[in-house]
Parts: sequence; C-alpha cells; structure tokens
Amino acid sequence: MEIKISVNVNGKDYVREVEPRTLLVHFLRDTLRLTGTHIGCDTSSCGACTIHVDGVAVKSCTMLAVQADGCTVTTIEGLAQGAELHPLQEGFKECHGLQCGFCTPGMIMTAADLLAKNPSPSESEIRHGLEGNFCRCTGYHNIVKAVQYAAEKMSNEVSA
Amino acid sequence: MSNKYIGKAVKRVEDKRFITGKGKYTDDMILPGQTYAYIIRSPYAHAKVNSIDISHALSAEGVVAVFTGDDIAQSGINGVPAGWQVNFKNGDIMKEPPHPLLVGTGSTVKHVGDAVAVVIAESKEIAADAAEMVEIDYEVFDAVVNPADAVKEGAPLVHEAAPNNIAFDWEIGNPKAEVDEAIANSHHVTSLEFVNQRMIPNPIEPRSAIGLYEPSTDRYTLYTSTQNPHLIRLLMCAFVLGIPEHKVRVVGPDVGGGFGSKIFHYTEEALVTWCSKQIERPVKWTSERSEAFITDAHGRDHVTHAEMGFDKEGNVTALRIKTFANLGAYLSTFAPAVPTYLHGTLLQGLYTTPKIHLDMTCAFTHTNAVDAYRGAGRPEATYLLERLMDLAAHEMGIDPVELRMKNFIPPFDGVNQPGYQTQVALQYDSGNYQEVLKRGVAMLGYEEFRKAQAEAAQSNKLLGVGFSTYVEACGIAPSAVVGALGARAGLYEVGQVRVQPTGKVSVYTGAHSHGQGHETTFAQVVADKLGIPLEDVEIHHGDTETVAFGMGTYGSRSLAVGGSAIVKSLEKIIEKGAKIAAHKLEANVDDLTFADGKYTVNGTDKSVAFGDIALTAYIPHNYPAGLEPGLDFSSFYDPANFTYPFGCHIAVVEVDKETGKVSLKRFIAVDDVGNVINPMIVDGQIHGGLAQGIGQALLEGAIFDENGQLINGSYMDYCMPRADDLPMFELDRTETPCPHNPLGVKGAGEAGCIGSTPAVVNAVLDALWSGGFGHVKDILMPTTPERVWRAMNS
Amino acid sequence: MQLTGSHTLAAPIEKVWQMLMDTDILAKIVPGVSRLEKTGENQFEAISEIKLGPVSGKFSGGLTLSDIIAPSTFTLNVSQNSKIGNADASIKINLVAVDAQQTEISFDGDAKLSGLLARTGQRVLSGVANTLTKQFFSNFEEEIAS
Repeated sequence: MEIKISVNVNGKDYVREVEPRTLLVHFLRDTLRLTGTHIGCDTSSCGACTIHVDGVAVKSCTMLAVQADGCTVTTIEGLAQGAELHPLQEGFKECHGLQCGFCTPGMIMTAADLLAKNPSPSESEIRHGLEGNFCRCTGYHNIVKAVQYAAEKMSNEVSA
Repeated sequence: MSNKYIGKAVKRVEDKRFITGKGKYTDDMILPGQTYAYIIRSPYAHAKVNSIDISHALSAEGVVAVFTGDDIAQSGINGVPAGWQVNFKNGDIMKEPPHPLLVGTGSTVKHVGDAVAVVIAESKEIAADAAEMVEIDYEVFDAVVNPADAVKEGAPLVHEAAPNNIAFDWEIGNPKAEVDEAIANSHHVTSLEFVNQRMIPNPIEPRSAIGLYEPSTDRYTLYTSTQNPHLIRLLMCAFVLGIPEHKVRVVGPDVGGGFGSKIFHYTEEALVTWCSKQIERPVKWTSERSEAFITDAHGRDHVTHAEMGFDKEGNVTALRIKTFANLGAYLSTFAPAVPTYLHGTLLQGLYTTPKIHLDMTCAFTHTNAVDAYRGAGRPEATYLLERLMDLAAHEMGIDPVELRMKNFIPPFDGVNQPGYQTQVALQYDSGNYQEVLKRGVAMLGYEEFRKAQAEAAQSNKLLGVGFSTYVEACGIAPSAVVGALGARAGLYEVGQVRVQPTGKVSVYTGAHSHGQGHETTFAQVVADKLGIPLEDVEIHHGDTETVAFGMGTYGSRSLAVGGSAIVKSLEKIIEKGAKIAAHKLEANVDDLTFADGKYTVNGTDKSVAFGDIALTAYIPHNYPAGLEPGLDFSSFYDPANFTYPFGCHIAVVEVDKETGKVSLKRFIAVDDVGNVINPMIVDGQIHGGLAQGIGQALLEGAIFDENGQLINGSYMDYCMPRADDLPMFELDRTETPCPHNPLGVKGAGEAGCIGSTPAVVNAVLDALWSGGFGHVKDILMPTTPERVWRAMNS
Repeated sequence: MQLTGSHTLAAPIEKVWQMLMDTDILAKIVPGVSRLEKTGENQFEAISEIKLGPVSGKFSGGLTLSDIIAPSTFTLNVSQNSKIGNADASIKINLVAVDAQQTEISFDGDAKLSGLLARTGQRVLSGVANTLTKQFFSNFEEEIAS
C-alpha cells in the first residue's frame, strides 16, 4: 500500500506516493534523485545522511518518508543561494575540510545546525557538535577550521 | 622557470562538486533497466553447505533471478586470484586455494560473510525480502581466528590444500645463526610479545558495483568503487571471467575513501558483471555497512615475538623477530606482499642495526581476508621497532631521544652520499633522520615537559610522552624488482598529456583520486611546467576507456609514479613544441628556451606562445617538414627505486590513574615526504593518517569470538575516532628531495598512519612509568581504560 | 554467551513441571513466542519474534527436550534461525522443591550466536537475556495465578 505525501524539498513542493517503510534518505536519493545525501551505515551512527527537516538537523535514515509529510526539507543541494555558496561550503573548500567528499554533505548540514544554535562555538564545542558524524579522511582538523571560518564569516555578515 | 603553483596551497578544484552535493559515487547511479542484487552470506565462519533451496525466492513477485555457486561453477568461472605470489622458504609456491564468487553445494564456507547465493530483483527491498525465502542447510564446524593458534597441530583447517593452515612461511635478513649469535652476545636484550590488532579500514562510502552487459556490442561496463580500475579489469578479465580485456570497460567514479580496502578485486565485482550477462540487464550491488564489516578486507593482525639487542653503550646490535600474520580465509589481491615485502623489508628502520632476521608465518583463518590497510606492513614494522626503542630506553635508563640519535643512520642525500643499503634488501634513497627528531623535540619543549610530568606524577592525572621515528617505502615500485619478488603485474604508471588545439590541456592518469586531490596537485604540476593557467588544465582518471592504462592508487605512489609519468609526457610535449617553435621563429631548436609559457630565441625578444604552438600543431599549414601534426603524448614511468619518506611523531597523553582513561593532549608530527607540490593537501593527508594511526592505538580493533563471529561489526561497536577524540595536530616538515624521480617527491598518503600508533602507546606507557608503574612493559591495543587500569592494578 | 539464573515460583514442583511440559502453556509464557507446535516426542517447532537492541528478527526453528528426569531436570536445546543470524543454545533446567508450595527453578546454559545477531546484538545481549528471563518468570507467575 502506497501513501501519498507532500514535502517541500529545497524550496520545491513534491507530491509523491511512497511505501510506508521507505526511509526518508531513500526517498530523497531514489525518488527525488537528490544523491548529495549519502548513506554510510545502517545504524544511524555515521551522519552522512544528515539533512534539515523544518530547520533542524536530522539523520534522514532515522526517519520514514511518511513522517516528513508536510515538512520543509533542506539537503546539501539546497544550501547555496544560487551561485553563492553557504559560508560553510566556502569554509570547507578554503580550509581543505574535505578529501573524498563522502561525509561532507552530512558534515556541512550538521555544522549549519550547530552554528544556528551557537554562532560562535569554541573548538571543543565544534568537536562535540560534530561527534555524530564520521569522517575517515581528514582527522577532523580542517573540518574544525572550516566551521571556525564559517562562524567568523557569518558573524561578520551579521554585524556588517 | 618560476613556479606559480608548485609549492603553493592551491585550493582544490574537485571540491565544488562535493560541497554542493554533486559528487557522483557508484551508488548514486541508476542505469536504465537496472536490477538490484542481494547477496546471501554465510552466518557461520566454517560450515558445509548441504543444500540450497531457491524455489520460493525464485517464484516471488519482482524477483528476476537467483544464482548459486553451482550456477557459477557450471559456467566455468574461476575464483578471484591473489595478485602477488610469495614462495615458501624451501621454494615451494604459496598455497592459493580458490576463492569462489559463490560457495556451492557440498563446499564449505570459510568465513562469516562468505557468499552463497545472489538474489536479483526489481528493487533492493524485493531482493532482500526474497533472500529470506532462500533456505540453506549448513553443517557447522569449529573455527579458528588467531594466526598463532591456526598453525598449531589439530586446529580446524580452513583449506584441505593448506596443511596446518600455513599459506607460506618466509624469512628475510641476515642468516639466522648470525642474528642468534649477535643477540646472545648482546649486553642487553629488550624483548616483547606484540599483537598488532586487526583493523577495519571503514571508508565511509560502502563498496558498490554495477555490472552492465550490452548484447548489441557484446561489451561489458563495470562501475565500481575502486582505487584502480585498470587493475580490476585485468584481474577480472584475465583471471576470473575469461572475457577479452578490450570488451570490458571499468569505471571508478567518485570514490568515498579507500585506505587500501578498495584496491582489491572483490568477488562482488565479477559477480555483478557475470550476472548482468545472464539476465542482460544492469545489476547493482551496494554493500550495507554491516555487510562491509564482514566482506571488506581488513588490515594488520600480526602476533609477534621481537627481541632487540644492545651493546654497553646502547648501540643496537641485532633484531630478531618471529611473526604470525593472519591472511584470513582467502588470499586477497595484495595479501601475500603485505607481511613480507612491505613489512620485512622495513625492519632496518632508521637505525644502523647490523644484524636483522625476520621469520614470518602467514596463516589462513576463518575470518575475512586481511590485506593492505593504510601503510600496509610498514605500520607493523614501525610499531615493533619504535615500541622496542622506548622500552629499551626505559629498561636501560637512557633517554629515548638520545637512544635514537645514537643509533640513527647518518644523513645522506643520495646524490653526494650514496643511498643506504639495509640488511633487508632495500636501499634507502635519501634521509636526514636527526633533523626531524630535533625539530619534533623542539616543538614539544622537552625539558619543560619532563618538569610538568614530574609534577603530574604526584597527582591522579599522569602525563606521558611517546616518540616514534619512522622510515617507509612508497612510490611502488620498480617493476623488475617487484616482479622478482612475486608481483603478478608491473607497477609503473601511465600519464597522457593531450594539448588541445586551443592550448587547453587534458591529462589522463592511471592514478585514481578518491580524496587525495589529484585533480589539483597534478594540474599544478602541468600548469607550471607548461606556463599556463591552472584553469586550462583538466585531470581525468578512473575510466579504462579514456585512460590508456594504469596501475592505480596505493602505497603513496600517485605523485611519485603517476606524476612522474605525466612529467615525462610534458617533456615530450615541450620538446616537440620546440621544433614547431623553431620553425615559426626561423631559429635553431638549440637556441630556444621554454619558460613561462613561451619559446624565446636566446638573447632576443623573439618568442612564440605555447597556445600558438598548440594551434599550429593541429593546423599544420606552415609546419616543419617530416614532423607529425598533433601535440599528444603518453608515457609509462617505471620508477628506479621505491621512495623513502621519514619523520618523527610525538604524542603527549594524560592518563587518569583512577579510571585508566587516556586523553591525547598533543600530537606533533614532523614529516619529510620529499618535495611538496601542495602543502595544504600534504598536511591533510598527514592529518587523516594520524587519525587512523591514533585510532588504532586508542580506540579501534576487530574482535572475533571463538566461533569466528565478528562481535563488533557495526559503527556502534567498532570505535572509530570522532571529532572530540582528537586534538588539533601540530605539524612541521623538512624537504629532502627524492634523488631519482623528476619531481623529487616521495609520497604522503600513509606517513601519518605509519608513525603515529607507537608514539601514542609509548606515551601511555611513559605516563605509567612516571607514576611508579615501571614494571608495565606492554598494554594491548587499543589501550582502553579497562586495559590501562588493569595494567596499573596488576 | 552464558545464560544462568534462578527464581522461586509459588507452586508445587509437580505443577511447575507439568506446566513446563505443556506446549500451550509454554508458548504463552516464553517471551516472543508466537507459535509452538509439537512435531514429535519432545520435539517442537517454534516461531518467535525478538528485539535485541538495534536488531530485531523473526526466528524459526526447532526446540527439543532431552535428559528428562521428572520432575526435577531436563535440557532444552534450541536452534533458531533468522535473517539476522542464528542462535543455538543448550540450557539445563533444574527444579527443586523449596517447600510444598514453592519451587526454585534454575537454569544454566550456553548460547552461540551467528550473523548480524552476533555482530550487532552481542553488546546488548546480556541485558536482553536478563529482560527476557524476567519476563519469562513473571509470565510464569501470572500463569500460575490464573
């Protein structure tokens, strides 16, 4: 039995029929073909699938698609404003905060939520805030720097 | 020629697609008509497959096909081969029992995760549901998981063809009797039993493969998450499926990390390719994480007894080692080479040890294959050398820095001084080991640290410092050398440079990039050598259809070997361009200089830009007689030697006396990876390697129970470093050029992982020694709070 | 994995024994069991659904009773298979009359797990075993009371 859901994803409204057991991450990747959201595990441990649901970071493998009915979803594909990168996207590039790029979308979405709640986090607050996301390439060093870069840029934008 | 890009922290050109979610990994693809494979795997480590009933699954709606090992066997397909042959001490060829794609009825499964059947369906859910309907009757036998236990009389046998589970035994170094005598005559001998625990590489992208067969052309395409598409094509075509190589295209698109585990030719790659032919539709398989834990090749897993002898002054006199290495149930692609040629040959370390002997026994066990994991053999060698050094210093009452300085090989640059000939076959190219240690110790602030440590020794939080200095061999490798050592392939690399008529440049390299930033680093080299903007260069990799040939990315070889191949092609381009320029400028070729993107007649202001030469090469109206049009060269580069990066890693830890918890306070790394093209990327490589090496010391390790079940096979149980487990790293470097490749580069991918592990464990022990626990000689990795606490309370 | 435990039930030893030998009652009191069918002398087919921390699965397979000495002891052999892995256990069960109205039931055994069950379940397994044991005894008590 398929269930009809309507979701706003990255500013676009979608009405789709889904199986009740479909995970939100599969809906995004397979149905909407937004493959920037990645799957790295099957225990909700890696954070590669992190997206925003109604403005809050969620591991999209922990939610059913039907639970997103009526929600506003943002994925990595919807983070930039047109051609202008989000400060975090810019920070990851400037600070070499990514290597293979697989954890990067989830890492950026988690960091965006972190900065929304705490615009000027300390190094240890950043590390603590990202502990739900695995990165196997960077040793986190440059990811921390990327988040610091974005925090500074965003606070300058606010004060300017 | 001035360098505009080489040596600069150029931001990566590949980043844009990854930060915007536009990367294209294998599992992101859905091909028209694609089906989904679910592989049914043995839940037992050792069992006979009595029967398989696929009838219910076959009749389920949406199921396209179900295949078993019997189908595979009937079609005459071989198992997956090892890519390296190592012989027994007595010259006999290693035991290489077949590794079938699917284990058939009447045969035995040999590890948990061994594949038994595959269900192919219209969706992955249907395939998974139908897999539950396949009924398999197993007869379960005892299993063995530890390599030292596996070779004992009466241990459960993995393969009938390998008595006592021995794949091969092997030795290297000076004659054993000489080493025995040197140890016996030593003033002091430091000895230790080591366990270098089994590690799980765990790239965050699980492996994925799509097989596509096109009946109209009788051609195959395999998309797979691999570090080396050409190698996969060669092994799969020639050894497994028997398909002519020119009928197969292998593509490694964006790959989400490898760390060695995506070098190897896995059964699933051949399986989806074969299945796609059977059903004439694309077949995709994507590993689940829990499946990855029991099917990806693991790393390390050595059990060792090591002894290091010293004279009265503290000079190393001899090193004697007996190691049992676990190869798992089947020989994976590089597996035989890792404990031997990538490990035994590194036991000289940075020291002048005159007598060395390694006796190695490589064993089969009922576990998944063990193969190269970041560093591959070299971390194991470094671990035991550097642990022995700090322990010997402690036992003899000598400072660990002083003991190393006393035993280091004197500096040599490989040009004015010859390379250093080791006792274990290799000849190091260049090194200055004193300098990296000196810098590391200065960054640490050694004297102040020892004062702080003495104060902390009175408290509940002990402080410890651990040193590790390493040399490694990378940039693999001279084909003739590795061929003599049993490699079943050459280890050169291919680089093609195609100058387009407009002067833009397309480069095709056999080195695959899966995080290393080749698309940037290689472009920096090309842009500077041709004097053109970086934006005018594009690097292509990962597709056997566009890249002429290649051996792939592993062993920190991409720049040293792949980069050198590109440089060779660039030299051919510049040389041919000079002929065209001479014609245009009506000058002699010998009177031209190429610099900053133009050919200039020496002593004049007459010049012609590289872009004009490119256009002329493709529109040869006014052109040198007898010269072929076009500006497109391909080169094979076969290195003259390995490259030998080295460095010094220092860890500072705090140990809670009450709980045994270890906190990593500082980590200093001074690495020498030869010349550096992009310092930002090199630092990133070091960071990542450090995290994995530190992970081994503090957190990670596969645990099998006695039945061969991996009991920490999930991200909830297998403890990888998270952001809050690590400090900011303190990095510095020296640059000792490699004397034998055109860029003077050595390799940076594995260094961090090779040097860091013993530094951390040494630091934990140093903390304990400072706190009055001087009797503790070893703590097994990972040094969990429980183990540290028990060591203090034993 | 070791499985041990004991509990005192408010019923005479003969009644406890009788209940343990009654398939219908056993199916009711063993947690997770949805079906228990006798297939032969001291042989049963069982279907159960159990959640083990992060993994849950539908199990099916055989149960056999052996070494039966009424009313004091028997060995329960369990061989359950599921998509997430298989469980094989051999558990010795002892009954001792505390007094005329009370019986102490104790068990001691070993379970072998395989597959995903072993990989991801093991960590939480002793906790799950304790919970299931508690449920079993409380179900038993309810059944005695009814």
